[in-house]
Amino acid sequence: MKKKTLAMIQPYVWLLPSVILMVSMILIPIVSVFKISFSDVGRSGIVRGLNGVQNYLDIFAEPTFWHTLQNTVIWTVVVVGVSTVFGFVLAMVLNQEFKGRKFVRAVVIFPWATALIIQSVIWKYIINADYGSLNILLKKIGLIDGFVNWTKTAGSMFGWECWVGIFVTFPFVTFCVLSGLQSIDGSLYESASVDGASFWQKLFKITLPLVAPSLTVSTVLNIIYVFNSFPIVWTISKGAPADQTHTLVTYLYQLSFTDGKGGHAAAVSVIGFVILAFCASIYMILSLRGEEES
Amino acid sequence: MTSKRKSWQTTLLYVFIVVLCVIILYPYFVMFITALKDKKEMYEIGHILPEVWRWSNFSDIWTAAPVLKYLTNSMVIAGGATLLAILCGIPAAYALARMRFKGKGIFMGAVIMSQMFSPVVLLVGIYRMMVNINLNDTILGLILLNAAFNQAFAIWLLRGTFMGISPEMEQAAKIDGCGTVKALIKVLLPMAAPGIITTLIFVFINAWNEYTIALTLISTDVFKPITVGINVFYGFNFIQWQYLFATSLFATIPVVVLFLAIEKHLVAGLTSGGVKG
Repeated sequence: MKKKTLAMIQPYVWLLPSVILMVSMILIPIVSVFKISFSDVGRSGIVRGLNGVQNYLDIFAEPTFWHTLQNTVIWTVVVVGVSTVFGFVLAMVLNQEFKGRKFVRAVVIFPWATALIIQSVIWKYIINADYGSLNILLKKIGLIDGFVNWTKTAGSMFGWECWVGIFVTFPFVTFCVLSGLQSIDGSLYESASVDGASFWQKLFKITLPLVAPSLTVSTVLNIIYVFNSFPIVWTISKGAPADQTHTLVTYLYQLSFTDGKGGHAAAVSVIGFVILAFCASIYMILSLRGEEES
Repeated sequence: MTSKRKSWQTTLLYVFIVVLCVIILYPYFVMFITALKDKKEMYEIGHILPEVWRWSNFSDIWTAAPVLKYLTNSMVIAGGATLLAILCGIPAAYALARMRFKGKGIFMGAVIMSQMFSPVVLLVGIYRMMVNINLNDTILGLILLNAAFNQAFAIWLLRGTFMGISPEMEQAAKIDGCGTVKALIKVLLPMAAPGIITTLIFVFINAWNEYTIALTLISTDVFKPITVGINVFYGFNFIQWQYLFATSLFATIPVVVLFLAIEKHLVAGLTSGGVKG
């Protein structure tokens, strides 16, 4: 009898270290963020007690918040969308036999492996209007006469941030799709060719359905990563000009650690959290369903 | 298919590949040549390549700022987080791969959900908690946080590895008188070594590249990891680009090399551990 109870609790003992780590470092901050979002927080960070939904009302009354929300959607959709399409095409190319394939695969790893903060700083330097290397390069080639201010408007600034976002995001898609492509049986294509299938038919009837699982993983994970991506926007613009290029995470960082509005920042966190929870629950359902089938 | 069409396709392929490689490598080229320029040349706009190749920049950075200290801190933070994540992750992954128990589905769901909890969204709560337990502005705090936020990936990758190994060998070892723990250490772990190494390197890279938590929690210079430390060359009006990029190279090269080493295993692990159906 004693042995049986021991066997029953054994799995939980094995899980315990991991649970302790995640509960203490992830769950407690989640609870704390929710609590702060309903609290009146002074500039110094002291919680003066609960104040209901006041923080949320303040945030909703702020035009910057709505603009930021819009930016966040654009940022996530554009960066993930373009990265997914381009990453997929590149994977198709890299799946073919050609000289130098190994080299190209290695090169594509670079943006993925480099710290985001370093990648951001380099691009900030490249597009600098006064001495940036892009201007120098284009002038040397003769494409421009004088130096161009690449980030004159909020729109162009945000466009460059999206570019850097895409630059660091597409390699992940490429490698996920490549792993899916390499598991496809080549004879499928041969028999399709014998039956006279065109390139597009093979793409839509064979390739896409078979790499769909890899594409799902990369897309869902990228949505989460890109939505949460902080260093690119923070390094290149810090939301400037006039708070027009923020995404939710840079906005909440500024609210909390620059403006001293901890309550408002927590409210923005909770809103971001809810959006992400929605995405993650879709992912979770898909994952667990895949588990049951296999 | 005619051979004419084939050669036309091959040309197009190579044009695409060359353009792509040039664009991807351009920032690294800029980082490298700027790291070699003299301070005076920094704001001169006439040349792409340095007029004087200042190799001494690479030796100057160590005295211009406590770069060695930053790199050591990064090593301690990433190394500590990796060790902790793997020590907690192995038993959890083992239970999920080999045992049946109530609440398994819920736990796996929670693990997957925790992948979305970027520390940035929780920063306000993390900061407050770390202040309360006196771990803000400490390296230990960063180790704990990095380990926790990489648990999901570690468990997921390790579980996939364990599930790919037949349990027969462990069962045989148990019949020979080994306990579960001994069978795990003596039989399963050696066979799972490639997967474990991949997990180790992946968590290490994530923790090494982490920026936002460290930026928020660490204010004392000697505790900063390299990602935050390079900000010393990045003052408001005066940026020492040559030192900034020389230091960045030291922070980047080891990680790229590690990444190249595990690339194949990593992607296989991510996609097989994730959505299957």
